[in-house]
Amino acid sequence: MSEMSRMKFYCDDHRCIECDGCSVACAEAHELPTGINRRKVVTLNEGIEGKEFSTSIACMHCTDAPCEQVCPVDCFYIREDGIVLHDKEVCIGCGYCLYACPFGAPQFPRDGAFGTKGAMDKCTMCAGGPLETNSAHERELYGQNLIAEGKVPVCAAMCSTKALIVGEASEVAKIYRQRISSKGKGVQSAPYGWSKAYGN
Amino acid sequence: MRKYLYFIIATLFLASAAFAAESQIWGDGRVLNIFGYGQVESLKLGPLFTMLQKEYFEVIFFGILVGVPSAFFLHYLIIGPKVFPHGGKKIYVFNLFHRFIHQIAALSFIVIVPTGFIIIFGAQLGGGSLVRLAKDMHGLATIPFAIVVIPMFLMWLKDAFFNFDDVKWIMIVGGYLSKEKKPIPAGKFNAGQKMWYWIATLGGMIMIITGATMYFMDFDIELLRQISGLTQIDLLRFAAIVHNVMGFGVVVFFIVHLYMAMFAIKGAVHAIIDGHMEDEEVKILHGSYYKKLKEEGKI
Ligand code: HEM
Ligand code: SF4
Ligand code: SF4
Repeated sequence: MSEMSRMKFYCDDHRCIECDGCSVACAEAHELPTGINRRKVVTLNEGIEGKEFSTSIACMHCTDAPCEQVCPVDCFYIREDGIVLHDKEVCIGCGYCLYACPFGAPQFPRDGAFGTKGAMDKCTMCAGGPLETNSAHERELYGQNLIAEGKVPVCAAMCSTKALIVGEASEVAKIYRQRISSKGKGVQSAPYGWSKAYGN
Repeated sequence: MRKYLYFIIATLFLASAAFAAESQIWGDGRVLNIFGYGQVESLKLGPLFTMLQKEYFEVIFFGILVGVPSAFFLHYLIIGPKVFPHGGKKIYVFNLFHRFIHQIAALSFIVIVPTGFIIIFGAQLGGGSLVRLAKDMHGLATIPFAIVVIPMFLMWLKDAFFNFDDVKWIMIVGGYLSKEKKPIPAGKFNAGQKMWYWIATLGGMIMIITGATMYFMDFDIELLRQISGLTQIDLLRFAAIVHNVMGFGVVVFFIVHLYMAMFAIKGAVHAIIDGHMEDEEVKILHGSYYKKLKEEGKI
């Protein structure tokens, strides 16, 4: 698979306003239990003028995903489009993927009488899991499968500043380049603003 | 003993109370994890763990699982077991307390070691409920072992220090390379048993601590992070690496110990069951101990 056609997330920290909308949308869309945050907004250098910025983190669907390399039960699979998914019915909740992951993405709900670590949970890029697409079972284990319906993952879809974008790596790079090159060119004046419409 | 149990329960309690706090991994600390991953100033434990787990751990465990028993199989065929006359005089070597502690430790290990292997070869076994059960049993069997490991450490400590006998024992590989029956220099424990003692007790404690670290995962022990200078996630990576590397030693010696007790020395297993060893077995395999018992007029 070409590197440029892989699905990627990108969060523009010049735009992220730490509204937490993405993580709330994610938790709601997939009905995640409390304590599980597939996506999380973090702020760095808080209070330091000029250096403070926020960004939204989830599984980054890595090329050569480290999680996939260490899993003792080999339950990961990487889709044609580069989305990294795993089979929760094979996963044993050992935690190894978390140790390998550069982004702290894998999480573990406690289950059972002894409170052992349950099957790992992470961002699916809204692409569900290995079960029958859009079945109740898939939805219960992995959440919604928006990709199968041709929709944009819910976090990026709702991002109000469009800081968080998702798509083929080449497309994401294109948007990023456009934003960089248009920086400092002034604000676009709207053709039909309030003043034009009411002429004051 | 009672106090000791309270101590263990209190420790577990404290560890679980620590959960209530803000997540050390997925909270704001998550950023440290990202910066700490493979950056110049960190130990690069993430990539290190990934490389070791991907390339080495499974292969080494496989080598041990096949290699060590094959070596013993050859030993059994070529040199054969040591057989001492039974029905002769017996020497009472382990009292009820020793046996009880040893039995609990043995039963725990009989669960811990195979389940550890099931997790490691989880992919070949298809993962899912079988391997998940093994993981839960692995953790569960840790509890009885954690209870007996300190008494076991203390009760055999004075017999486990190395001395000159052990150098001689190692030079002749414990006499296991010949069938000849002449007294071998060893006290109550021979050099091999002493090595196993240290690996099983101190190594066992390391296995308990690293295992518990992985089990509890998102606990909050500030002191630990301060002393080690590691973030929570690096602490977990470190624990996983140590658990596997120490695991090599534990598994090798466990298999050796099992072979010696069950096959290489016929009847040796009675020492853990009723506490007796054959008079001649002690005389030959634990020459110095036998001499000492004789001098003390105990036999
Ligand atoms: C005294 C010996 C040992 C003790 C007390 C011990 C204890 C533990 C505990 C408490 C865990 C965490 C379980 C969990 O997260 O649910 C663990 C994990 C693990 N242990 Fe051990 N263990 C021991 C020996 C071994 C050996 C000999 C092996 C290999 C053959 C092994 C392989 C593993 C593996 C692969 C894991 C990680 C997977 C997991 O967390 O489920 N362990 N151990
Ligand atoms: S879980 Fe972590 S290592 Fe695996 S693809 Fe996602 S970000 Fe990468
Ligand atoms: S927690 Fe599950 S997915 Fe992660 S490495 Fe272990 S078995 Fe694989």
